[in-house]
This record gives sequence, C-alpha cells and structure tokens, in this order.
Amino acid sequence: MSYVILNGMYKDDSFIPRVNKMVSEELQRSNYAGDTVILHDKEIKPCLGCFKCWVQTPGICIIDDYGREVAKRMIQSDVLVYITPINYGGYSAELKKALDRSIGLLSPFFRVHEKEIHHETRYNEYPNLVVIGTLEKPNAEQEEIFTSLVKRNVLNLFSEKYSSQVIYNDDDNTTITKKIERSLAIVGEGNE
Amino acid sequence: MNKQLTFLMCSPRGEKSASHSIGFYLTSLFEEKGISVNSFSVYQTLKIQEEIEEMIISINESDIILISSPLYIDQAPYMTIKTMNIITDSFQQGKISKKERHLFAISNAGYLEYYHNNIALKIYEQFAKENEIIWAGGLPIGAAGTHAQYPIPEFLKMLEPLPKEDPRHEIYTKPTKLLDSVIRTSVDHLCKGEIVPKEELQKLEFVPMPLEAYIEGGNNGWLEAAEKLGTTDKLRDKPYER
Ligand SMILES: Cc1cc2nc3c(=O)[nH]c(=O)nc-3n(C[C@H](O)[C@H](O)[C@H](O)COP(=O)(O)O)c2cc1C
Repeated sequence: MSYVILNGMYKDDSFIPRVNKMVSEELQRSNYAGDTVILHDKEIKPCLGCFKCWVQTPGICIIDDYGREVAKRMIQSDVLVYITPINYGGYSAELKKALDRSIGLLSPFFRVHEKEIHHETRYNEYPNLVVIGTLEKPNAEQEEIFTSLVKRNVLNLFSEKYSSQVIYNDDDNTTITKKIERSLAIVGEGNE
Repeated sequence: MNKQLTFLMCSPRGEKSASHSIGFYLTSLFEEKGISVNSFSVYQTLKIQEEIEEMIISINESDIILISSPLYIDQAPYMTIKTMNIITDSFQQGKISKKERHLFAISNAGYLEYYHNNIALKIYEQFAKENEIIWAGGLPIGAAGTHAQYPIPEFLKMLEPLPKEDPRHEIYTKPTKLLDSVIRTSVDHLCKGEIVPKEELQKLEFVPMPLEAYIEGGNNGWLEAAEKLGTTDKLRDKPYER
C-alpha cells in the first residue's frame, strides 16, 4: 500500500513539520510506503482554468512542471494525505496551488452523483483521503467549514473512505498521536 | 467625499471569465451611483510588487471590497487565497488601517446548482471576520459559464425577441432577471453602507432547470470542443493509470 503526503505549509511554519513527521511515522508503522511532497519547495504554476487537461491533452495538464507530478502521485497512491494550515476555514494557498492543477484526474463529462452534478471518474480507483488541518487555537466556525469542505471534496474526488482532523498548535504529542491514529484508522485496512 | 471601492477580479481567464463579466457589471452599477472604483486583476497584479502595493493602498482607502472569483474544487483558487493572505498580512503590518469597510463576494461555479458555492462564501466571510471587515454577503452563481459568454444586460437583450411561450424564458430569462434584480438591490445597499439582507441573497437559492438537461448541454459542449481538436477518442484516456 502506498501513500503520498501533500504538505501545504508556508515556509515559516514551525509546527507542521512536526505533525508531518508523526503522520509519516504512523503510516510507515502501518506498512504504507511513500513520502512527503513539501509543496512550497516545488515549482508549480497556477492553474490557467483552460480545461485543456480535459479536451486537448486529456488527463494531463498542459503546463509542464511539478504540478503534473503531483496529480500523478495523487492518483497512484492508496492513501492521499493533505496537511495544511487552516486558512479562514479552507486550505492553504500552497496546497490549493497543487490541487487546482489536478482536475485532469476527473473526466470532463458530467453526471448526477448523490443528487448533484459532479464529474464522471477518469480512473477506476481513487485514493482514500486524509486531511489534517492545523489551527493556532480552537475556532468552531472555521473547523466546521473545514470539515464540510473535506466532505464536499470527497464528492469530487471519489474517495471511498476519508477522514478530516484538526490539530491545534498547542496540542501535546500524545493528543496529536491520538488524532493521527484516529484519522488513519478510518481509512485503514482494518476498517474495510 | 465619494465612497471608494476596490474590485478584485480573481479569474485566470481574464475577459473570458464569469468573474470578469459579473464583477464588472457590478462595478458599472457602482460607478453610476457615484462610487469611484479601482480594479485589479489579481493574476496580473500579484506578479508585480508595485501593483501589489497599489492594491493595498486602494484597499486602505476603500469603503467596499468586491471579490469576484471562480470556484475551484469547492473553494476559491490558489490565487484568490494568496490575495487574501497578502491583505491579511497588510492589516497585521498596519498598512491597511481599520475603519468601517464592507466585503461583498461573487463566487462563480461551473456546476448548475448555486449551493456548490456555499463553502467558498463562508471562507470569504471568515477572511472578513479575521480582518474586522464587515461581511456584507455574497452571490452564489451557478452555471457561471453562461455569464462568462454573455454579460447580463446583453444576455437579457438577446433573449427578449424569443416568443413568450419559448421554454428558454423559464431557464434563462427568469433567473437572469432575478439575478439582475438581486445585484441591483445589493449595489443599492452597499452604496448606503449597509450589508445586503440575507432574504435578498436567498432569492438566488433555486435550481433553474433539471440537472439532466444541464448535463446533456455540458457534455455536448465537451464533445464539440474535442471534435475540433481531434481528441474525441482520447477524452477518457488514463495517462497515469498504475
Ligand atoms: C481547477 C478547476 C476546478 C473547478 N472546480 C469546480 C467545482 O468544484 N465546482 C464547480 O461548480 N465548478 C468548478 N469549476 C468550474 C468553474 O467554477 C467555472 O468554470 C467558472 O465559470 C469559473 O469562473 P470564471 O469563469 O470566472 O473563471 C472548476 C474549474 C477549474 C478550472
């Protein structure tokens, strides 16, 4: 089983590297193989909104940079993990820069899914999704937005199993470990 | 003194976008009411430091901030988030002073149903809250592609000659007239320094046609585009299949 962590931290974040390390260790303990992509280190241009990844070069973004690699890593993993500081309830700009470039993983064609319009799948299998957001301190409104956002994303990304978790910067290691374990258990094999 | 508005146009598609078409329709209505408008196309602005500074100076002087942005994967695109972060940093650095200032947002979704925009609008509201800007509300636009192609006034003019019983009135004319009226009422409130009442914005919470009809139109659109490019048999390719 494979994983990829998309780390959407900003350069000056001193907390997320610790969380990232703990998530990687937990995944490896559960026999997943994979690694982390620190997105701010990568050259990823913003999506042009041109839909050429749907009609001109189907499945591949026309911008030839690391954005392509991220999309490929996403679809080729069994577990996809986003780690992001929560920005106004949503994802960080760094994470979003990569995700915007990944819509080629879907088919352009629309269909009704859960009584709403969504896209058809392009691939037969999609990764399970774990989203971990960090906040300096509890913020009920932003946490609710974040949780709903992950739920909506899953409708668009077709993950069979998913979990979302909020970790506070002043959580101690035991609490962080428990939260990570809980998140991974939801998408883990034991929960088939 | 005249009120001032900063408009942030947040689509990479420039003039071909719904964000541009609807956003500039609002700014034209604001200008008719004597509001002075400074517009920034953030994909261009963020490339140049002096333009970023100009944007911040404009926001500092503004009474209203108007964001018109696409919806990308259930929230704003990267560049819109980055713009919000730059504004937040500028508040923290004291480059924008706190004063009574409203934020109004337009979220433009490709899917038909307005509610795909709900989370994006809540995120704009949090951005406002974090910076002590008054959240004045937002427009959840579904099927935004139509407005990208046809600006609201032109679209209404185009539909006018259709016979009364033509079904397109129900799915296009009626919703567009309603959107126009909500936009005009919103502009009126904002000009008076008021938030837009929720009941007004809730008028947009309806789905104007059966989902299947929209899907058929959309899917035909992809097929036509692919046919022109000679890629019809590639549309379902799986280049990254394991
Ligand atoms: C990367 C990307 C992601 C998108 N995600 C969504 C989505 O989650 N929901 C939706 O309704 N439309 C989605 N769309 C469609 C856009 O919202 C639609 O094209 C809209 O018109 C864009 O606004 P603009 O015309 O101002 O650029 C997406 C488009 C792109 C390019």
